[in-house]
Amino acid sequence: MSVLEVRDLSIRFGGLQALEGFNLDVNEWEIVGLIGPNGAGKTTAFNCITGFYKPDTGTVRYRGADVTRVPPHRKAAMGFGRTFQNVGMVKSATAIENLKTAQHAKIEYDTASGLIGAGPTWREEKQLEGRADAILDLLGLNAIRDSKVGGLSYGTLKLLELGCALATDPDILLLDEPSSGMGPEESEELGDRLLALRQEFGLTMLLIEHHVPLVLRVCDHVYVLNFGRLLAEGKPSVIQTHPEVVAAYLGGEAPEALEATQETEEDAALDAMTHAAVEHHAEVAPPARKRAAPRKAPAKKAAPRKKAAAASQEPAEPAEDAE
Amino acid sequence: MLLAAEFNADVLTPLVSGAIQGSLYGLLGLGLVLLYKGNRIFNFAQGEFGTVAALLTYAFVVGSGGLPELPYLVAVLIGLVGGTLMALLTERVVARPLFHQPKVTTVVATAGVALLAISIELLFIGANPLTARPAIEGNLISSGSLQVTYQQVLIVLALAVLALASALFFKKTQTGLAILAVSQEPTATSLVGISVNRVSALTWGMAGFLGAAAGILLAPTTLFAPGFMTGAALIPAFTAAVFGGITSLPGAFLGGVVIGIVEQFGNKWVPTTFIPGGNRILVFLTLLIILVVKPSGLLGKEA
Amino acid sequence: MTATAETAVAAPPAGHAKGGPSLAGWLVRGVLLLPLVYFFLSVIPGSADLTERGTEWVVFALVGISLNIIIGYTGQLSLGHQGFVGVGAFAAAYSLTVHQVPFALSIILAIVVGGLFAMLIGFAALRITGLYLSLITLVFGITLEQSLFQQPDLTNGGAGQPAYKPDALIEPSRYYFFCLAILVVIVFIDWRLTSTKAGRALFALRENERVAAAFGINVTAYKLLAFVMSGAIAGLAGALFAFKSEQVTGEDYDFFLALTFVLMVVVGGLNSRFGVLVGAFLFSRIGLDYAIERFHWIHELLVEGFLFVPGFGEERIQFAPRLIGAFLLLLTLLQFPGGIAQQLRPFTRWFAGGPFSFKHDVDGGPGTVEGSSVRA
Repeated sequence: MSVLEVRDLSIRFGGLQALEGFNLDVNEWEIVGLIGPNGAGKTTAFNCITGFYKPDTGTVRYRGADVTRVPPHRKAAMGFGRTFQNVGMVKSATAIENLKTAQHAKIEYDTASGLIGAGPTWREEKQLEGRADAILDLLGLNAIRDSKVGGLSYGTLKLLELGCALATDPDILLLDEPSSGMGPEESEELGDRLLALRQEFGLTMLLIEHHVPLVLRVCDHVYVLNFGRLLAEGKPSVIQTHPEVVAAYLGGEAPEALEATQETEEDAALDAMTHAAVEHHAEVAPPARKRAAPRKAPAKKAAPRKKAAAASQEPAEPAEDAE
Repeated sequence: MLLAAEFNADVLTPLVSGAIQGSLYGLLGLGLVLLYKGNRIFNFAQGEFGTVAALLTYAFVVGSGGLPELPYLVAVLIGLVGGTLMALLTERVVARPLFHQPKVTTVVATAGVALLAISIELLFIGANPLTARPAIEGNLISSGSLQVTYQQVLIVLALAVLALASALFFKKTQTGLAILAVSQEPTATSLVGISVNRVSALTWGMAGFLGAAAGILLAPTTLFAPGFMTGAALIPAFTAAVFGGITSLPGAFLGGVVIGIVEQFGNKWVPTTFIPGGNRILVFLTLLIILVVKPSGLLGKEA
Repeated sequence: MTATAETAVAAPPAGHAKGGPSLAGWLVRGVLLLPLVYFFLSVIPGSADLTERGTEWVVFALVGISLNIIIGYTGQLSLGHQGFVGVGAFAAAYSLTVHQVPFALSIILAIVVGGLFAMLIGFAALRITGLYLSLITLVFGITLEQSLFQQPDLTNGGAGQPAYKPDALIEPSRYYFFCLAILVVIVFIDWRLTSTKAGRALFALRENERVAAAFGINVTAYKLLAFVMSGAIAGLAGALFAFKSEQVTGEDYDFFLALTFVLMVVVGGLNSRFGVLVGAFLFSRIGLDYAIERFHWIHELLVEGFLFVPGFGEERIQFAPRLIGAFLLLLTLLQFPGGIAQQLRPFTRWFAGGPFSFKHDVDGGPGTVEGSSVRA
């Protein structure tokens, strides 16, 4: 099931062709990586996909519907969650306020009712706060709940930003360099986290990344951009040894860096399960992890997404088929 | 003969008086452009540099409040010095501490400085208008509805000379380049060894001088009372400067003349029976259009 | 920026983990507030002079709340706000006097007209921001004063458009309470604004429009909403002001009034409802003006007694409040960005049910005003 389909995307800024003929596919529950040297056009592609730029040519389809010209705030309401390269949050507000703001598109009461203080508003505001607290819980950020975002450390900021993206109740997450500024241990934690999030919330993801081990570990499919054009695409292991990709980066250094990846057996097993599920649309119970919650594919689309509430507690019913 | 008189009244008079009135605005606008070029701010106190200078000149020409009566040129010198000092003081006490804050804070602060100056003027002098003597008495042209005094000619000449001088200063001198450098890259320029503080003081001092000159020249031609520059000339000067190009010194000149002429024709074209103040409306629309279409102004380059 | 209510009326505890003060604690707070309540509800209406000044305070406070939405919440500088107030005043006066529109309707008209005019500026604000927008608002306000507000039909041939209150409100203290009630309602609405999604949307777009859009906020819509709301409240204030002074003249709505409003909001404390109330008090005729009028003889005594120099005299001393105001503005911008509200925060926080502490949070002050230039 295609979640995101980009065809023939091109955009030009003055004399610079930032993107040309770019094609990309992201299927349900995939984690797709978008890599390439600096200035290749990755963030530009993101901006086109999420509606911040209007491409000159090409289409962006979301679950089959043409959303090329849809503005960013409506895309957010549709299910596009996004993070930014330079950490996008309201710096003068506190963490919890940011998380409440991020839920904007999902709020049911209208502005006017809010202004006169109608009954449902108070209740929903409490719910917003509850969901925000749940996300803080999920990411282990309770300590900074009431701190002004502007003063936080970079790593915490990036994590909180991920939380805000989750708060928009996304269907697909577009993360712009989520691991920037992180060391190898933190990156590994991030990888764990992304995989777990995909698991629990049934998310699809598109990542811009520079950290190759993370890409190799987490991504099902990788696209390589160079000078605005698609250089190569395929499974991470294939891309790893692709001569043109290697050449596009820093010459001979590339192969050694790529080999530093250490996929655990668990990850390999999980990846296999995911691919099986994607290909056969079957219900699959993954091996038991710390927060095992069976993935019920159809239910995710039907029920309203009270994901944060569900995630913060151990599931009441025992995980089915878990060993 | 009749036709000539009509042409005179309908086209020539508004054109000429508009251009002259506009030069007034342009003169004040020079200082505004200077401070925007140098500090990226709108200086709402620019008018008061002029009022203070004009009041000082007046005080020493007339010998008011126990002060000695001095020859005109000496009094003018004192006025110029006074205006410049006021600008330097503003730089030191207000602009410099707020340098790293958002520009809007400084802009509001300059409005505060203007208000402070006007209040002090009112407290010491009262609200009654005064009469300032012009540098040169008499009229150049006085026929029918068209009247041009020597003082007004002086204003136009002063504007032209000062605009040219400032433009050359920025293009050709080291100091001028330094000022531009600081306005665009304060951190980098300070690393290179240019003293940001000294450049800032210099910029404000120059703006103060220009404002003082404007005030002294204008006082004889209009209602002269505390706050007169801010009340009569500052807002049109801003409009003129933005219109002509807030980063362009010649633009201040051009903008001033255009706005002055637009005002005069606005008075003629917009029927006042329906809605008075047609000149104001036309000026406002001109400003709105230029900011939407070409924000950098007629002669300005993208900031 | 925290969104807790900071009105003089004590609100229920804002969900402190500790559970807030005890009943005794609330009683103490209530007792301490009594003099203030007595002042506003009894002393002011008791004297004709004070009632008139007090009503002006209420009107200024309404304008302050309106202006705070633009400068504080949306982060744009409005130097022409007196225009929206004037537009409301004229709308109410004209419709009631010339077209015999009922009182309530004339006020509603003022609200609508104020909102409409502000919406025009709002549209401009979509393309132009920061310093350039402030220039537009400045010129807009002055243009209104010198064109529309000089229109002979509106101004009754230049004599000023009359505006008479309905019989029920003719008594000044009644009118004062009427305006006070409206103020309470508007403060409530402003509180709801900052506590719900619209306020959060404004704070987000004030700082970073891209992030706001990514959070699902329709930046255009909310910017316009801010201007319309601001204009509507300003129009309301204008209507109330018109009926208070019983005559509307264009010259009243000049640039100095605009500056007074900005002064009020900044010195009182940007982004703070309490700050707006304090600032309005200080800069309306119940504040500095009144203090100078009543107590200027002290300054004369001091100056003549100690410096042996004549004081400014009764005529000139009326300019002293402007001097003090300008000085306070500079002081606020240079040293105390959160204004008076921030300095008094230890007290207001305690009165609202929080702990008493001198530790200052850094509230959003003028520093949070956006300084970007025109968007191409």
